[in-house]
Amino acid sequence: MTVIGGRVWLFGDDLNTDVIHPPAFYSLDPDKVRRGLFHGYDPDIQPNIRPGDVVVAGRNFGCGSSRETSIRAIKLNGIGAVIAVDFARIFFRNATNNGLPCLTFADADDLARLRTGQRVRVHPEEATLRTEEDETIPLTPPGEFVRRIWAAGGLLELLPRANAPRP
Amino acid sequence: MTGRTISDKVIDAHTCDENDTSLYRRVNVDAVLGHDATTALLIDDFERHGLSIWDRDRVLLANDHFSPPATAERADISNRFLSFAREQAVPNLMLDRGICHQLLVEHRLCQAGGLIVGADSHTIMAGGIGACATGMGATDILFTLATGTTWMRRPETIAVRFRGTLPTQSGGRDVVLALLGILGESGGQYRSLEFHDDSGTRLCQDDRFAIANMAVEIGAKFGVFVPDEVTVDYYVKRDGELLGTLVRPDADARYERVIDLDLSALDPRVAKPWSPANVVPLRELEPVRITTAFLGSCASGRLSDLRDAAAELTDRKVHPGVRFVVIPASVEVFKQALRAGYVETLTEAGAIVNHSSCGACGGIDKGVLGADDVCVSSSNRNFRGRMGHWDSRTYLASARTVARAAVRGALTPDLYRDQGDE
Ligand code: SF4
Repeated sequence: MTVIGGRVWLFGDDLNTDVIHPPAFYSLDPDKVRRGLFHGYDPDIQPNIRPGDVVVAGRNFGCGSSRETSIRAIKLNGIGAVIAVDFARIFFRNATNNGLPCLTFADADDLARLRTGQRVRVHPEEATLRTEEDETIPLTPPGEFVRRIWAAGGLLELLPRANAPRP
Repeated sequence: MTGRTISDKVIDAHTCDENDTSLYRRVNVDAVLGHDATTALLIDDFERHGLSIWDRDRVLLANDHFSPPATAERADISNRFLSFAREQAVPNLMLDRGICHQLLVEHRLCQAGGLIVGADSHTIMAGGIGACATGMGATDILFTLATGTTWMRRPETIAVRFRGTLPTQSGGRDVVLALLGILGESGGQYRSLEFHDDSGTRLCQDDRFAIANMAVEIGAKFGVFVPDEVTVDYYVKRDGELLGTLVRPDADARYERVIDLDLSALDPRVAKPWSPANVVPLRELEPVRITTAFLGSCASGRLSDLRDAAAELTDRKVHPGVRFVVIPASVEVFKQALRAGYVETLTEAGAIVNHSSCGACGGIDKGVLGADDVCVSSSNRNFRGRMGHWDSRTYLASARTVARAAVRGALTPDLYRDQGDE
């Protein structure tokens, strides 16, 4: 996992996947999926996202639907990582499976130290976030299982090459 | 050795690697569920990797989101899904038969004690009949389709005990909304909710499905009822006999928390916009005019919901300011409702009864909300923008409350006071 550098987009608690990516933008067309990111919440966010930007949020990020279009939209916009107080289960699995690092604050109070537009660098392996003021915010180190999927480059890389077809 | 909960036992029974000390266990699954919108997301990768389905008899696929498709783009997605299912020769492809979660619990693949995964968060609903079932994303489901396995972390369990007797005007929806009010949107995060029904009359099976369905709104991984005679009745009626295993927790099972819920005090609840946990007793609600009423989705739309709505609408009319959309959860439910006369009663009263599918629940079709719409819905999520326009507002309630509000043209705190209770 390489170091991610970009600006912070800050969100609150319980940001559900319908708000992250409204159902109206569900599609197999990557361009449509990309444009839908946070569209209802604030249509000005998506056009201003730059590769390497980091989503920062409060509790229960990604609750709700399991639609992986929400992960696709985040990745298609070049968001490099999501840092939150904690994550909803399905979202966390989906993100990890697709090689999008999701890390939690070691101390939830550190959320208050971040603001939209701030420049940060996230070191997934080290589990740290550095701000432009050179503050270091510790994150919770990912477990062995998550590291294994990261190292492989996503869950699909752990598949047997081709599974044996059924007789 | 401390006692085990239902999810402990089901995960233990399905573990397929020896390394049982690791946090994540590799488990065999008994069944996989998928629908058009999520399965379509995995087909390209599945084919690119040259995969085949590990056991096609254990897969249930249903086109419920786009059934039938409302746009050309969705028709293309639907066709892609259907041709995938046919090329893979999946025998349980349920074409236009209703919402996948309802179809799963109507099917023999879903058995007590089973471990089931599905490409949709409400897969958890099968917990209503004693299965440990959970939703995952397309990539996880692709992996399971190819291998018959997945990884699972042992969840902590919260026991929820129901006591007392539910008032006749309240139902499973009110119970689970009350629980959401207690636990919030993340109170069950990563947890298994284990429901112990010690209530006076026992919750009916439809109420249990409504509760298990919305366990995911509390963040839970499983929402499983301790199987009892209601469960056994359901299986015997469905399969002719009990085929699965009634997995019950040990008497000394270790729970992270125990919640006691006295149902006798439980009057109707509503969740206000824009969170299913934004719950108040209906009697405390500020009156609000509605433009739309929706009875449907996998959260309800079952026979008892249609029966309650039909009872409310007998010899009454839907308010002229309200569009009332009704969608039975499956074609099976639809047929039963037809035979019972509910469809006729609802139609006479002015409701629109639509073909079984997700419909307006996910903002897909058959009643999507505009900016000025205020909806009272028996679905499971009132997240902002989910049912349509970002500015539309959805209140969640039981089918009975939805029907009463449809007649009144408003959600009011006195909905159960002056309409003549039966
Ligand atoms: S009815 Fe609603 S919640 Fe249920 S599967 Fe369909 S879109 Fe999802």
